Amino acid sequence: MSDLRPITALGAALPRLASFGALEIRENGGLALASMALRRGTVEPTPFGLALPGPGRWIAGQGVAALWTGLDQWMIEAEGRAELDFAAELKQLAPGCSVTEQTDGWVAFEIVSRAGTGPIDALLSKLVNVDLADFGPGRATRTGLEHMSCFVIRRSEAHIAVLGARSSAGSLWHALETAAKRLEER
Amino acid sequence: MLIPHPLLGLRDAQEFTYLGDARLIDRPDPSAPDAEAAFCDYVFLRDNPAGVHREFWFHEQGDRSWLVVTRDTVTHEVLGAELARDAALSRTRCSK
Amino acid sequence: MTRLSGGLIDRSQTLNFSFDGKRYQGNPGDTLASALLANGVRLMGRSFKYHRPRGLLSVGSEEPNALVELRSGARREPNTRATTVELFDGLEARSQNRWPSLGFDALAVNDLLSPFFTAGFYYKTFMWPKAFWEKLYEPAIRRAAGLGRLSMQADPDVYDKGFLHCDLLVIGGGVAGLAAALTAARSGARVILADEDFRLGGRLLSETRTLDGAQASDWISALEAEFESLPNIRVMRRTTVFGVYDHGIYGAVEGVSDHLPEANGRVRQTLWRITAKRAVLAAGATERPIAFADNDRPGIMLAGAMRAYANRWAACPSETIAVFTNNDDGHRTARDLAAKDVKIAAVIDVRPDAKARGDYRLITGGMVAGSRGRLGLKSIEVQANGRSEWIECGALGVSGGWNPNVHLFSHHRGRPVWNEPLQAFLPGENGPLGLIPAGAAAGHFSTGDALRSGARAAQRAMGELGIAASLPDLPRAEEADYTVAPVFHVPGKKRAWVDFQNDVTVKDIKLAHAENMRPVEHLKRYTTLGMATDQGKTSNVTGLAVMAELTGRSIPETGTTIFRPPYTPVTLSVLGGGDTGRHFRPRRLTPTHHWAEAQGAVFVEVGQWMRAQYFPRAGETHWRQSVDREARAVRGAVGLCDVTTLGKIDVQGADAGEFLNRLYCNMMATLKVGRVRYGLMLREDGFAYDDGTCARLAEDHCVVTTTTANAGLVYRNMEFARQCLWPELDVQLISTTNAWAQIAVAGPKSRALLARIVDGFDLSNEAFPFMACAELTVCDGLRARLFRISFSGELAYEIAVPARYGHALIERLMELGADLGATPYGTEALGVLRIEKGHAAGPELNGQATALMVGLGSMVSQKKDSVGAVMSRREGLAGDRRRLVGLRPVDPAGKVVSGSHLFAEGAPWKFDTDQGWITSACYSPHVGSMIGLGFLENGDERLGEVIVAANPLEGESARLRVVPAHFVDPEGARLRE
Repeated sequence: MSDLRPITALGAALPRLASFGALEIRENGGLALASMALRRGTVEPTPFGLALPGPGRWIAGQGVAALWTGLDQWMIEAEGRAELDFAAELKQLAPGCSVTEQTDGWVAFEIVSRAGTGPIDALLSKLVNVDLADFGPGRATRTGLEHMSCFVIRRSEAHIAVLGARSSAGSLWHALETAAKRLEER
Repeated sequence: MLIPHPLLGLRDAQEFTYLGDARLIDRPDPSAPDAEAAFCDYVFLRDNPAGVHREFWFHEQGDRSWLVVTRDTVTHEVLGAELARDAALSRTRCSK
Repeated sequence: MTRLSGGLIDRSQTLNFSFDGKRYQGNPGDTLASALLANGVRLMGRSFKYHRPRGLLSVGSEEPNALVELRSGARREPNTRATTVELFDGLEARSQNRWPSLGFDALAVNDLLSPFFTAGFYYKTFMWPKAFWEKLYEPAIRRAAGLGRLSMQADPDVYDKGFLHCDLLVIGGGVAGLAAALTAARSGARVILADEDFRLGGRLLSETRTLDGAQASDWISALEAEFESLPNIRVMRRTTVFGVYDHGIYGAVEGVSDHLPEANGRVRQTLWRITAKRAVLAAGATERPIAFADNDRPGIMLAGAMRAYANRWAACPSETIAVFTNNDDGHRTARDLAAKDVKIAAVIDVRPDAKARGDYRLITGGMVAGSRGRLGLKSIEVQANGRSEWIECGALGVSGGWNPNVHLFSHHRGRPVWNEPLQAFLPGENGPLGLIPAGAAAGHFSTGDALRSGARAAQRAMGELGIAASLPDLPRAEEADYTVAPVFHVPGKKRAWVDFQNDVTVKDIKLAHAENMRPVEHLKRYTTLGMATDQGKTSNVTGLAVMAELTGRSIPETGTTIFRPPYTPVTLSVLGGGDTGRHFRPRRLTPTHHWAEAQGAVFVEVGQWMRAQYFPRAGETHWRQSVDREARAVRGAVGLCDVTTLGKIDVQGADAGEFLNRLYCNMMATLKVGRVRYGLMLREDGFAYDDGTCARLAEDHCVVTTTTANAGLVYRNMEFARQCLWPELDVQLISTTNAWAQIAVAGPKSRALLARIVDGFDLSNEAFPFMACAELTVCDGLRARLFRISFSGELAYEIAVPARYGHALIERLMELGADLGATPYGTEALGVLRIEKGHAAGPELNGQATALMVGLGSMVSQKKDSVGAVMSRREGLAGDRRRLVGLRPVDPAGKVVSGSHLFAEGAPWKFDTDQGWITSACYSPHVGSMIGLGFLENGDERLGEVIVAANPLEGESARLRVVPAHFVDPEGARLRE
């Protein structure tokens, strides 16, 4: 095992965590990510027992989850496996697919509300142009957020995740923090 | 504007990058004897109709799909949208 | 302070405010306008051109006169309508466009000179001499004719933006809007109700009408309570829908803390982008005045406004008022004010058959023909039945009829249609899709009509969406007919104002007519009618009517006005909608950013990226010292540079090689696994646009790099090729730019350094030659990719590890390489090294260069097709004789300036003798002088020749010797060592 010490996307030893009123924003440093795309003539696999979701959707299994990212393309998430070669593991389970390691391509922020869906919806309406009537649990989308391209995942009524480019983690944190603070002030 | 994405439903045009005339899908045969003239037309000549127009939009802040959107350039009414991939594949089938 | 009885103000609390330094008191519920009026202030401003004393004309956002500077310091807001400012404690306001004071304005002399200042005055007068315009005329005119002053400081407040979606957007919270919102909300649809006022109710708040026999406010309160209880309706007060955009997208501004003394770091305003499946336009109607001589004195206002101030705010400009009207509405004002014990001097109705609605003196078939009172109205001249009399009154309510607020309806060039009985423009048939007008905005002026039309509009909208909505039980309401006489102005010789804000009179319109500026578009530009902050809300139709009368044509024949967004003025700050300064746009940091910061690096913005430009050391006082040292370290020992910013695209699939073959102009399909190849991409028009490397990790897996600047563009083009051009190929793409920290390890000692971190990997030249690549582990088990590529011309590698390890890796390399002279270098040294090596980069691949020009013509494969290959062979491109050359100053101390143009010695510096230009230049520590790269006509055949580089911008030129573009190791032996 290498003795090199990783740093978080925000440049610290430990992931950042902060609360704003009913909202908690947590940098999820342990989330492993790998993209998976079907090759020509490949049958859709069911890695880790996941039934791959259709356009605009996200599905969770045991410690793993999948979101649709494009035609015949998904992002597979695995909790707490960022230090492992998750892409290699996925490749074994997805024969005939193009698998690419994405763990460090992204920063993941988990946003949880202690007061139900209200604060989550209020936050989202300040950040992304998404119709919330059609964005309940199990929905996921890629869209622009303060000029950054992000995945937004509705993990449950009161829990969303925002995945943005790791290099702009600081700007993304600023955007989320600013919006959350403003809701708190209101 | 709202673009009716064939897979994702109505999406705000802000998520897209616009390219223009969808005839770029018909790239000329590079081995044809008149290839240079055909490419000249392909690269430089575009219709700019006031009315119904088939055009490329790239869902850059979305699923990264290229769409062929049929739009009235006068009223901005969108008459339809399909995946460019599907349009290209059906073109290939037609020509073969 | 004198207040009438009643009103929707909270008399239990007092708010202090000041106007022109004088202190006053008002109550919560007041606007600045109503509070000033309640304090007996009638004079509130000076007119734009003639500096005429002016008071309130209206009660809402249409106000042309009472424009003030609100707040102070950096928050000073010029041209704020006193009628829309919600009173808060400590409010400061000042009048504008007057000197030295509002009561005595020296420039009121303009009014005496008015015969000169007619329409077109500026056009005719300040034509000559031309040079005088900028230096003399314009500054003088700007001083004299103006509105408020800017603070000239940065806006200290913060602004926000957001996105909302709904089934139905109801624009306007008056009687029609409330009925529409109620109908849709009860059906379960998602509804947004937006109103610019701070209270729902619209015109109901200003009337004494009853609903179901009770006060209208009871009905409004009950609705508000119901809306509060429903999860599917969002009520947005203080929110102006200012524009209609395509496909049901609406722009709205919410005044979040405009009504508070200070935002205190909280959001001031929010810009909302509302996507609505349907919308109801219930924006109401705006009253218009009748023009007559001297109709602009403080105290002369719209009759509906006068009634609103009395009913809603218990304020009246005078104890004695008169009303001048051409419709029944003026009588309501007289009746309501009489009920509040205001003395009604007379009601003058232009209609011979008008009937009184109360106990007041009615003059039928009459006109107001003049007025007196320097700073406020004292008396009016009434002409009726051939007689003239002066009637004393401190205020006059004028009603010339009501104009439906069709503005938003015509934002997509929807032409309003003239309605003869209503003497007004109504929304036509060709408005924005999904926008349904209702209530007074659709010409339904009685309360009962407005209620029903609002409910029906919502029901229709729901029906179109497939939502069943039943009409709610609507309260019984007033059902009066509205009749209006087509009288727009009172004929006379003196000036009668049509557009108060721009000081446009009936005379000006006559002049425009006489000078053939008759189409409405010409009329507007010639007279400035309908311009500025109110956009003619009270004046456009009257202006049109006067022109129609002059031309002898009907109003619809004369023209209509097309409105454009915004409905009311919108501040630029809120359109910016978010962060300024450091967070204005996202910033991308490299994986070694924090490390570089700790080393004291100086950063440079490269697109969104922050890159280390150079790393100054103690004792270095000039950037050149640092850069020269860094470049020397690479040539002499080993340097480390974060190159993560280069785009990295993962290309997989059975046809990955064939796909790349079609994108790069050179052959890629033949690239062997474990090898890297330099690649050049052309645009389809044949010009070069990006370069990079392609590494083949497996038969079906390549990683290609792009330049930092073009990472997004290349990815987009690759997806275009994959989806639109060759969808039959089996290839999958994804960007991995952020996933890997990539560090260039360059210099003769790079191998020795890397040998200290690789885990049992053979780095020898035989095992891992130039242009090799491999996946391996480093530092005891960390996944990594290694590429033997060189940008500097030295023995060099690029090593990639998962981004989170980039920081630790560069620390480790620095630590292990201390004895080898490991030195971090930034983008400046990177640039010097590549210029010394003659590598084309951004300044060369600027979209005007071909592969031939950069010396890579032989790369364009003739054996296969690729994007741009056919067009690169066309005569114009293939015949271009400019070639990339190296340039050295003949005088070793001489300068080489990029951008300079190249000429043969002795040739004139002219377009047709121009032989090229310098693309890149730097000081080369390796050569010991400045060097440059440039495109030169027949450059490859002119080695050794001396040419002239002209820099006429700075009046400089230099003699340069043409040399090969490779200043370092032209044989390329070093990188293969």
